[in-house]
Amino acid sequence: MQIYLPIAELSLNVFYLAGIGAAVGFLSGLFGVGGGFLLTPLLIFSGIPSPVAVASVTGQVVAASTSGALSYYRRGGIDFHLALYLVLSGVIGALGGVSTFSMLRSVGQLDLVISLSYVALLGAVGALMLNEAVRALLKRKRGLVTRERLPRQHNWVHGLPLRIRFKRSKLYVSVLPVLAIGGTIGFLGSMLGIGGGFILVPALVYILRVPGAMVIGTSLVQVLVIMAASTVLHSVSSQSVDILLAFCLMVGGVIGAQFGASAGQYLRGEQLRALLALLILIVAIRFAVGLIVPPEDVFSTSAFGVMGP
Amino acid sequence: MMARTTLALLLFALMALPAEAQRLAGALTERQIEITSDFVGQTLTLFGNVEPAIGLADKPVKGPFQVIVVVTGPTQNRVVREQTNTFLIWLNTKSETFTRVPSYKWVFSSAPLAAITDPDTLAANHITLNSTGVQGTAETNGVPKLYRSELVRLMTDKGLYGVRESGVQFRSPTLYSVRINLPGDVANGTFLAETYLFREGTLIAHEAESFVVRKAGLERLLGDSARDYPLAYGLACVALALMTGWLGGVVFRR
Repeated sequence: MQIYLPIAELSLNVFYLAGIGAAVGFLSGLFGVGGGFLLTPLLIFSGIPSPVAVASVTGQVVAASTSGALSYYRRGGIDFHLALYLVLSGVIGALGGVSTFSMLRSVGQLDLVISLSYVALLGAVGALMLNEAVRALLKRKRGLVTRERLPRQHNWVHGLPLRIRFKRSKLYVSVLPVLAIGGTIGFLGSMLGIGGGFILVPALVYILRVPGAMVIGTSLVQVLVIMAASTVLHSVSSQSVDILLAFCLMVGGVIGAQFGASAGQYLRGEQLRALLALLILIVAIRFAVGLIVPPEDVFSTSAFGVMGP
Repeated sequence: MMARTTLALLLFALMALPAEAQRLAGALTERQIEITSDFVGQTLTLFGNVEPAIGLADKPVKGPFQVIVVVTGPTQNRVVREQTNTFLIWLNTKSETFTRVPSYKWVFSSAPLAAITDPDTLAANHITLNSTGVQGTAETNGVPKLYRSELVRLMTDKGLYGVRESGVQFRSPTLYSVRINLPGDVANGTFLAETYLFREGTLIAHEAESFVVRKAGLERLLGDSARDYPLAYGLACVALALMTGWLGGVVFRR
């Protein structure tokens, strides 16, 4: 069954859209990430113009993180005080991200920047995560007992000024790295059509030492608010949010995420992280290949501006 | 010189019209194409008849006639970009902007174009794809000529431009029909179907019909509100996402 997407101005199969939404939702439920970094490329490879893909995925990420955030809220797994700081800086970052997005789109380098950022960001995060997960797996194999998290250990970040106490996370930390992390995720997320959970979670754990019980719920709140703001900003600045496309993805994604979350209970933390790292690296390699392999057609054309009579 | 020749030909063609004894009567099967959520493209048919000119009804028209139908869509601004290999990766490095490019242009004819009339007449009436009347930005250094043909090629690859030299079918010596195929990603706006009637290489009559492609129902509502009320549209998207997410959480709550 084909459905005509009013903003993308083309028709795609509705089951295909819900299907990729569900597949990505399954993975996001499994790994506890938003899945935007998989969904945006999949849509672009399906022929949806990249501005529409990026802007519409922000809507899908809102839906995906809402279900997640609600379940963490019921378990008391959200530090709202910390989330407030992350969200405030994140919205400012998102403003910058959306205006950069519009600027890149008008000079025709949006696709390039998206590809390069995906290669750099996913490549780096994937490699770091894989390295960490493989080490943890090897240690476990050798029978060594490792501590899961090191929340009390301090690093250079904890020596910065303007410290604030976050009671729920049992943290007394400078507000500067918190704002920097929030702003960066907001900028990247709105520009690249990703929630940024896969960068935010490691940043909260390794840089701020947020305890494991708070990290996912708090990051989901940040992702939810930033993506909601990005959806509105994209709608206003480029009118490229396709609500029908976003809705098809949401429905698939929300259902898929539930199955993913159940499946996740059968895998150990390190195994999950190793699998996620591999997945992230595959996407990064796919983008790198696209940049290096000579294109079939070096010419491309796209319409811009208002249509005349 | 070339321009003057074509202008002279055009003037000649226009001057020749009143003296001719026939006119064209055309009709489209649809004047309004509505894009609804199941739109995957549509085919419409143009019927036309060669008739005696007004006041000359007693004088029968004499063929054989040749017909060319040119269908043009709403114009848009387009940019053509070229990728080159810089520092190992492929970048969009060169580009040229074209203004008022037809978003759709198909040429249908009852015989090969070259057999109907001479290239100058075709060009003067914007019948060939390469004479779409597109305006480039930098018309000086020779690059635009390459990009113009690339633009036509890219649009042809997308199925938005094309030539079908057997597209016009004569059902009788004077009655003809053309099937016009609009793809699923066709632009919205007003389309023009222009018919040119030739006899022995001379343009003897011209007629134009128009039709409108526009979103209807939900598609129209969404398209219009995204453009006219972007803030409300964005907020509605967020509300929809929150509701879907919340419902999902409630339905599957374990």
